[in-house]
Amino acid sequence: MGGRSGGTEPDDEALLRRVARGDQGAFEEFYRRTAPWLVIRLRRRCADPDVVAEVMQDAYVAVWRSAASYGGSAGGGSAAGWLWTIAARRLVDRFRARARQEASPRPVTVEPTSPAAEDVVVGRVLDDPVAGAVRELAPELREVVQAMVLDGLSVRQTSVLLGVPEGTVKTRARRARLLLREVLS
Amino acid sequence: MTAGHPSQALLDRYATEVDLPPDALWAVEVHLDGCAACRARLADAAVDHAPSVGELVDQVWAEVAPVVRAEPPVRRRRWPVLSRWAAPASLPWLLTSVLVPFVAMAMDLIAATLPVDPGRPSVLLLVAPVVPVLGVATSWSRRLDPAHELVGSAPRAGLGMVLRRTLVVLLVVLPPLAVAGVVVGTAPALWLLPSLVVVTGTLTLGAYVGVGPAAVLATVGWVAAVVAPSLVWDGFPAVLGPDTTPVWAVCAVLATIAFVLSRHAFRHPVSYR
Amino acid sequence: MIRTVSAGETAPTTYAWPVQARGLRVRAGRRFAVDGLDLRLGFGVHGLLGPNGAGKTTLIRALATVARPASGHLELLGQAVDSGGDLREVRRGLGYLPQEFGHYRWYTVREFVEYVAWLREVPARDVPDAVQRAIDRVDLTSRAGSTLRSLSGGMLRRVGLAQAVVGDPTLLLLDEPTVGLDPEQRARALELLRDLGRDTCVVVATHVVDDVAAACTDVVLLDAGRVAFHGPVAGLTAAGTGGADPEVGGGVLERGYAALLRRHRDREGSK
Repeated sequence: MGGRSGGTEPDDEALLRRVARGDQGAFEEFYRRTAPWLVIRLRRRCADPDVVAEVMQDAYVAVWRSAASYGGSAGGGSAAGWLWTIAARRLVDRFRARARQEASPRPVTVEPTSPAAEDVVVGRVLDDPVAGAVRELAPELREVVQAMVLDGLSVRQTSVLLGVPEGTVKTRARRARLLLREVLS
Repeated sequence: MTAGHPSQALLDRYATEVDLPPDALWAVEVHLDGCAACRARLADAAVDHAPSVGELVDQVWAEVAPVVRAEPPVRRRRWPVLSRWAAPASLPWLLTSVLVPFVAMAMDLIAATLPVDPGRPSVLLLVAPVVPVLGVATSWSRRLDPAHELVGSAPRAGLGMVLRRTLVVLLVVLPPLAVAGVVVGTAPALWLLPSLVVVTGTLTLGAYVGVGPAAVLATVGWVAAVVAPSLVWDGFPAVLGPDTTPVWAVCAVLATIAFVLSRHAFRHPVSYR
Repeated sequence: MIRTVSAGETAPTTYAWPVQARGLRVRAGRRFAVDGLDLRLGFGVHGLLGPNGAGKTTLIRALATVARPASGHLELLGQAVDSGGDLREVRRGLGYLPQEFGHYRWYTVREFVEYVAWLREVPARDVPDAVQRAIDRVDLTSRAGSTLRSLSGGMLRRVGLAQAVVGDPTLLLLDEPTVGLDPEQRARALELLRDLGRDTCVVVATHVVDDVAAACTDVVLLDAGRVAFHGPVAGLTAAGTGGADPEVGGGVLERGYAALLRRHRDREGSK
């Protein structure tokens, strides 16, 4: 039951395997551990708390219902990563549904912040050239990279999330790739 | 990704809805993805700096908990995974092709007790080369698969799937053949190579006329050309004699080459009949 | 979890139309059920209407790559299906509900949809959630663990819909998706189609003219293997209100359907 790392606490993956066997206690524990992180991450993508709550609910219910398949066909992997994939897709679904009712919840827009003040608080997290490149990336390019690379969405899902056509998503992704590659090489 | 854990100040800010510089945001999110300890630190940070997070967490749990209590998760059955290796509807047919060698064996054993010509060929040896083909026919045939429209329009449809299923069929069918052969006293060397040639030939032909029809053709052809004559005239079929092995080996090579050349055809609807 | 975005994924789309057919002829048995058809379909929900034997099912089967074009040109998702295009690539983007939804009776709903997701090469990691989403979308959540043999006809049709939408295909082909559904389920299914039509090319063959009005962005009217009319649903309504034969019963849409069909036949006859 214990985690592989030798600690007394089971890790999230072990919890999820217990959830797969129908362990409600394990599910509650998994929820308590991951929910604050998921709320915070979702809030940085969608400003509407109602939508965040709906997505959370959808995602955890989906985890409960499909956990049995997690160990099997999904082949394990990081439990948190799996949870995020589910939540990100449900978020896109919400945007899709809202678009039908024509009350599209705007995603959190990335506004350029003054880097000088932030540096003090944040410290150096990334290598300087990479950090610089990421900061210099135009906001519309950045949100595409964030949705695709960080959130693991497809071009189509990104297009729904950001409310721009697929062609535009692709163009921006290519431009961002070129800019970042210049820095990294 | 990042070498060290993010600072407490960074986590505190991340927990709130205050803007972070994008590079810091990305770094912290990537780190949190893979670090349970920092997710726990983040939860603590939220308690102090973003009370609305906790409220939302409790609110959602109030909605999720009843669902979890009301719906015990369904027990997962393992066997459907087998459908990735064998056509889901082919089981009865596979069982039939496993039975064939034993029926032939029984016929041979009965024949041995009767006062007939001791030189007559074994029924098992006569049918052995086409038994695997019966199974192969079930693995890639429209008629035997109720979901054939879905299978035929799927990206998995093609050479890989055909080979995978053929392999399973051979693994299922060959051992009983060998066992029955040992009981009757036929050397596997006599039928193994011919049966592989027939399977490969059937698949190659099947690429152009459909594996199902090709299997029927191969079976009927074999029965008409080899089985029937030797049963009628009680003669040992020349094609299965010990000295024919080199010929069969050449056939095997040729059939394999032809099969490799036709491999792309398995993606087209023609092969799936 | 950082995902690697491949160059192929962000490569510009090379096709303007997910479905493009020119002079397409497809055999059904001995006759040509699709006979010289020209068609271009973009994203949206396209209602395929027409009398029995007009070639709806044969056209859908050709689009599903299970019926091979006898002649003419057919391009699906940028791949020339008739002349050496990559069939596997097309099929990755394809969801299909055949007219006869053959299934395995002893599979559960979840197992069946999972099997189709595997056939469709949905990445293993995404399968559990993709399957759950597909089942939720057709309101079969509470029956996910039931075997298919225990389901009613309407429920089976919804399983068919779930397996067609699993993995978010770009080209979705549905042959009579609303058969056997009660009015409430039908409304839900049509709502699902409208949702999907935003970023999917959905082709719905149906004989229910009302379904077309409720869910489709445009209508393709087939007659004898050719396109008799292709235009917005409003075109059907207009043909039904303007100078229609009052003896033909039914609503505006049925009258429009009949009028367009007659007009097309007159045109063909005068050639």
